Amino acid sequence: MLKDLDPLLHSQLRLGIMSLLISMDSAEFTYLKEKTNATAGNISVQLDKLAEANYIEIKKSFRGKRPLTTCSITKKGIKAFEEYVNALKEYIGK
Amino acid sequence: METNTENLTPQESLDLITRMIRQTQSNLTQSSFYFLLWGWVIAFCNAGMYALIKFTDLQHPYAIWLITIPTWVVTILYAKRQGGSSPNRTHLDKINMWLWIALAITICPVLVFGNQVNWLINAIILLPVGLCTFVSGIILRFKPLVLGGIIFWIAGTLCFIVSPIDQHLVGAFAMIFGYLIPGYMLRSGKK
Repeated sequence: MLKDLDPLLHSQLRLGIMSLLISMDSAEFTYLKEKTNATAGNISVQLDKLAEANYIEIKKSFRGKRPLTTCSITKKGIKAFEEYVNALKEYIGK
Repeated sequence: METNTENLTPQESLDLITRMIRQTQSNLTQSSFYFLLWGWVIAFCNAGMYALIKFTDLQHPYAIWLITIPTWVVTILYAKRQGGSSPNRTHLDKINMWLWIALAITICPVLVFGNQVNWLINAIILLPVGLCTFVSGIILRFKPLVLGGIIFWIAGTLCFIVSPIDQHLVGAFAMIFGYLIPGYMLRSGKK
């Protein structure tokens, strides 16, 4: 049983997003969508869940007339991600 | 990619993390612009300076270096445009950017007070350029740039040995092998 794994991160799409953001200074919504091959609606829902947990920060602005959504990982998100990876390593080591 | 959590084993999770992190590679082609621009400009200035001193009796051959001023403007405008058009930047992109800004800051006093050392500044410039090129090569995981950095270090050291006029020739060759060849390889996507 993987009961100690953070349920918020133990999901393909949310983990994929967090894995991208961990090595990025910031990333656009469209970049995350392209890299994860997810639908806009699905990714939007998962981003909101991560933002509600303060794992990521979402900034909304404009580039010219087009809306621009930029995401970046927070300190809390980095800590959660590191703990998740350490837990994974323990499971694999057992 | 789905939100599915059911069949995600620890190994699959680790594989997913690795796969995603690998996707956040720096844009190598974009970096080639700076190496090609500065490679051509500095190689031209060095070769031009050498030719002007050797074959003419022009009073101010160093005036050729004035073309670096518009080059700075082009560099800043290009960097602004690239940075503005894409907020997708990795931590390594950011380190790489600050590395080169730090080089520009290091070179500034050398250019302003170069007259204090009779403008024998090739070695003082080529050695830190070698450092930045070498580290950039490591960051971008691009061996030709790492070799380019080593070439700049050799050229910088050579400048302490050769005559002041020949230093410009050394500088021109260093630019060809240190910036231009790796720059073109970066642009074509070769590793």
